Amino acid sequence: MDILTFMQQMINGISLGSMYALIAIGYTLVYGVLRLINFAHGDIMMVGAFAAYVAHASGVPFELSVVLAIIVAMITGILTDKIAYKPLRDAPKISLLITAIGISFFLENLFNVLFGGIPRAFSAPDYLTRSIHFEGIIIPMTVIIIPTVTLVLLFVMLWILNKTKYGMAIRSLAFDIPTVKLMGINADFIIMLVFAMGSALAAIGGIFYAISYPSIDPLMGVIVGLKAFAAAVLGGIGSVAGAVIGGFILGFTEIVVVAFMPELGGYKDAFAFIFLILVLLFKPTGIMGQDLERSRF
Amino acid sequence: MKKISTIVASAALIVSMSYAKEIKIGVVLPLTGPLAAFGQTSNDGLKIAYAQRHTLKNGDTVKIIVLDDRGDKVEAATATRRLIDKNKVTAILGEVASSNSMAMAPIAERSKTPMITHASTNPRVTKGKKFVTRACFIDPFQGAIQANYAYDHGYKTAVIVTDAKQDYSVGVSKAFKKAYLKRGGKILGRVIINSGDKDFNAQVSTIKSKNPNIVAFTGYYPEAALMVRQARAVGVKAPFIGGDGVGFPELIKIGGKAAEGFMYSDHFNEAAATSKVAKAYVAAFHKKYHKPADSMGALAADAYNMLLNAMNKCSDPSDKICVNTNLRDTKNFQGVTGLINIDKNGDAIKSGVVNVVKDGKFAYLTTVNP
Repeated sequence: MDILTFMQQMINGISLGSMYALIAIGYTLVYGVLRLINFAHGDIMMVGAFAAYVAHASGVPFELSVVLAIIVAMITGILTDKIAYKPLRDAPKISLLITAIGISFFLENLFNVLFGGIPRAFSAPDYLTRSIHFEGIIIPMTVIIIPTVTLVLLFVMLWILNKTKYGMAIRSLAFDIPTVKLMGINADFIIMLVFAMGSALAAIGGIFYAISYPSIDPLMGVIVGLKAFAAAVLGGIGSVAGAVIGGFILGFTEIVVVAFMPELGGYKDAFAFIFLILVLLFKPTGIMGQDLERSRF
Repeated sequence: MKKISTIVASAALIVSMSYAKEIKIGVVLPLTGPLAAFGQTSNDGLKIAYAQRHTLKNGDTVKIIVLDDRGDKVEAATATRRLIDKNKVTAILGEVASSNSMAMAPIAERSKTPMITHASTNPRVTKGKKFVTRACFIDPFQGAIQANYAYDHGYKTAVIVTDAKQDYSVGVSKAFKKAYLKRGGKILGRVIINSGDKDFNAQVSTIKSKNPNIVAFTGYYPEAALMVRQARAVGVKAPFIGGDGVGFPELIKIGGKAAEGFMYSDHFNEAAATSKVAKAYVAAFHKKYHKPADSMGALAADAYNMLLNAMNKCSDPSDKICVNTNLRDTKNFQGVTGLINIDKNGDAIKSGVVNVVKDGKFAYLTTVNP
């Protein structure tokens, strides 16, 4: 393999990895607070992509439809919390998990009914879809924009969590919900905030996903959701920075398998998951994960 | 009391005998999921064929029960079992994807229910099966059409793209390779994809470094559209050639400008439709859907009519064994997609066409006879 192709493959790895990272942050955020693996997260991502698609198709400028999509996804996230998760706050965790899977199926099938199962073409403005030619390497704009946005959002998240009052409330909720309530903090409002933040990230992830791979269908969140979940676990679920690291590792693993062992390319998902198992064997809390009872984010 | 019930029972028997029976055909299609376009276009064609004819010679009416399997092997098998056990269908029509048909075939075989797949082209679908028939040509033929067309038009080196999850793709890849090498072409390499994937940047970068004359894409349309787009974005100039799995409007809608020049072998193009049957079908299709008639719908219509023809040859159209024997015996059947003969394996011997994406439309290039 010549150096040019190698460089190109590395760029591909950054592109895919940052996509997983963006979605993994949302997983980890909700898990950190509620210990809930929100399996509907990938589907919220799909809702975001579809909302942007519908808004843009009905004549709204692209930038504004992105904002609308984020709002729609936030509302969806908050509603799922209010309707499905809140009544189960004191129920065993397994009930919550099953409910999350139920929400996931519900959203997928709702959109199947509304939009049909045939993939739709997602159109984005030219400045987002073109690519830059640099010394024989082709760099799609998304490869520059997505990692930048991911990193910016990562720092925004860390800032909110560590420097603001709401962040402090979120972190304290992660330790002990009943005690936090006793301190006069409105726990339900804070949880709502967490879902809103997580869903907004999912929507941004979904829209970037749709820009990079311009075909959207109601089941688009399933595989990405699973990969992002794996990325979050790999990085140490509950850790925001870990989710980003996990996303990049997963993205690079997939690209490297296809690039260096094309005949084994069909097993790239298997390689990614074998890698996950290996990491968990030696460090059960994931790369950045600490003892979950003591530390958060 | 006993007397009354006997009278009622015999009256019921007489009534049921004098009325025409209802013959059920179970249909399994991917109406949602990644291959939804296959299922929905098949269903469109089936509806046309059903509207044109749904009574048998002896006055029995035909009823079709359509189940969605979401493009999933397990769901396809479950749907088949349900149609046979619960709905008591006389025959099964479906699926599109070879992998799904292969999941259904053993169930049809065990229950001795005639099954006809309208569009599964992998040879293994009918192999060793007595109750599975198909209305389409098989992959060795399809692969040879592509390979010969590519080589004869000056594309002497190729990279093959195989979808490792789909038996269809594995089959076409093998057939393409064999025919292409035989013709004198050179295979520069093979890249693997998985259906459901969206990121093919690694694969297209590899293709770019190999610099072939043509890319033989053997998978389905969702991946085809995204892959050709990503290939053009990194600067792959070679045209793509594929099989019947790519010829869907979504290839153009999602692929956009990148899909221009994408060639593929297919079962049918309405531009090449000359028979009376085909013309009637195309006219009805245009009237109802206001879009060009596609190959999946045409194949589904043919499969349906082959079933009805076989049923007409039986004194009892619900006799599964008789229907199957006659279905397997189909000779010189004039279908929408051309003249169909079923060989001893249950495979259809018929002609194919080559189409190309031109100016955002599917244009007809040529017809290839078996």
